[in-house]
Amino acid sequence: MATDQQESAKIEQLAHHNPDELEHAAGREREVLEGWVPELATEAEVREALEKAFDYRGDVTITRKDGSKIEGYLFDRRSGTSLADSFVRIIPTTEKTKVNVAYGDIAALAFSGRDTAAGKTFEAWVKKYWEKKSAGEKNIQIEPEKLD
Amino acid sequence: MAVPISQAWTVATYVLKQKLAGRKKYPLVLMLEPLFRCNLACAGCGKIQYPAHILKAELSPEDCFKAVEECGTPMVAIPGGEPLLHPKMPEIVAGLVARKKYVYMCTNALLLKEKLHLFKPSKYLSFSVHVDGQREHHDFSVCREGGYDIAMEGVAAAVAAGFRVTTNTTLFDGADPNSVRAHFDELMVAGVESMMVSPGYTYDKAPDQNHFLGRAKSRKMFRAILSNRKKSWRFNASPMFMEFLMGKKDLKCTPWGMPTFSIFGWQKPCYLLQDGYADSFKELMETVEWQNYGTESGNPRCANCMVHSGYEASGVNYTFGSIKGLLQTAKAMFSRYDDEGAQRILNDWKPAQHGPLVQIGTASAASAKGELQSVSGD
Repeated sequence: MATDQQESAKIEQLAHHNPDELEHAAGREREVLEGWVPELATEAEVREALEKAFDYRGDVTITRKDGSKIEGYLFDRRSGTSLADSFVRIIPTTEKTKVNVAYGDIAALAFSGRDTAAGKTFEAWVKKYWEKKSAGEKNIQIEPEKLD
Repeated sequence: MAVPISQAWTVATYVLKQKLAGRKKYPLVLMLEPLFRCNLACAGCGKIQYPAHILKAELSPEDCFKAVEECGTPMVAIPGGEPLLHPKMPEIVAGLVARKKYVYMCTNALLLKEKLHLFKPSKYLSFSVHVDGQREHHDFSVCREGGYDIAMEGVAAAVAAGFRVTTNTTLFDGADPNSVRAHFDELMVAGVESMMVSPGYTYDKAPDQNHFLGRAKSRKMFRAILSNRKKSWRFNASPMFMEFLMGKKDLKCTPWGMPTFSIFGWQKPCYLLQDGYADSFKELMETVEWQNYGTESGNPRCANCMVHSGYEASGVNYTFGSIKGLLQTAKAMFSRYDDEGAQRILNDWKPAQHGPLVQIGTASAASAKGELQSVSGD
């Protein structure tokens, strides 16, 4: 679930308009989260940070209170009544398993991986398109991510 | 008929069985996502942005069959990612066909021609080729020059080999309804069985965040496109869903109508929104707070959604919900929706309202202006 901050453009738009009367729908303002190491001093900070980690499209690194670390893609979170019965679910970068980590066991969180959804990719491509076109290139395209 | 009679009968009896059993919430189509990686990077797509180790992961055939059995729908759509990149896709499709599921294998068709021999024609299998408009529109939607020509070569090869071929067109702000209508003509000439069309969803992760249609403009655009229909056009969609797109009918979202299963599990709540994952279909149905989704819920993420994954099932439910629904659907199947007002919208439509589309092969106009041009999305 996105946070209100992430959805602020849509919330602002809907505060003034009936959805049925909208001509254009607001997109989302990008938050720069890559490299972020949030403060986890309070329960509210822990929940907010993990909500953003769930929304993040890069890998994160979690340091448990016992000192062990896990790096991977945080694909789910289950929010309970306390930090002890709330947990995140991660697919580690090097394994094909799903690992649960309780919110209460988390000492530190880092948005360590590249945000694969970040950047003005489309605008950048349009600009690059004209550069390539001017250079005489053919069959220009946005290349998908290289996986190796 | 836009679909084989056997398929229409299977779906109709499935829906009626659910209703007779008193089930309030039941799915219509399973959206099976065996992988996320793709050989395109479309501007309007928010599905493929993941780290490399996630993009490399894929469901096994056994995972797919288990999900299909759990869900129990008569139809299975296989989106992605690009399904033809999955090395075991022929095995997956064959297994689903053997289970007598009507399969729509969604593909951008870049690999269709070369992989066609791995599949067998069947009334249960349709290649649902994603084509977002005429050549220029499609190429820029998928951010690849030549993409349209390759896709249409795949369509032609599949049609010639005796496969069922349908198409899927997604429209974003900037689409030109006159061009979309010409696109429909071209698809019918190409021999496709039927077409599906839908507005794009406001994917938060899509590269292009500036061209999402609002509901008012979606209705206007679809009224222009779908009124005054040509006799040659065949659509693969609920007639009531199409009336909803045209602004002729109010439908409420059915977020459980097309559940999605992927490497993460059962996606909460729907194909378009990610609010976590359930480990079983039962858990999905029982733990999602469904009242929090759909336009009427006030959820900002659902505010402008009119996408088939939420409303197609609503249209089918409307059809089978009453005698009135059945009669309206029967009437809709034979209606051309004559509409002078819609014709005026078409005549007056200014496709360049956000600036002209980038013109492939005619760089001079845009480069002379020295500015970026708006383009349509996925």
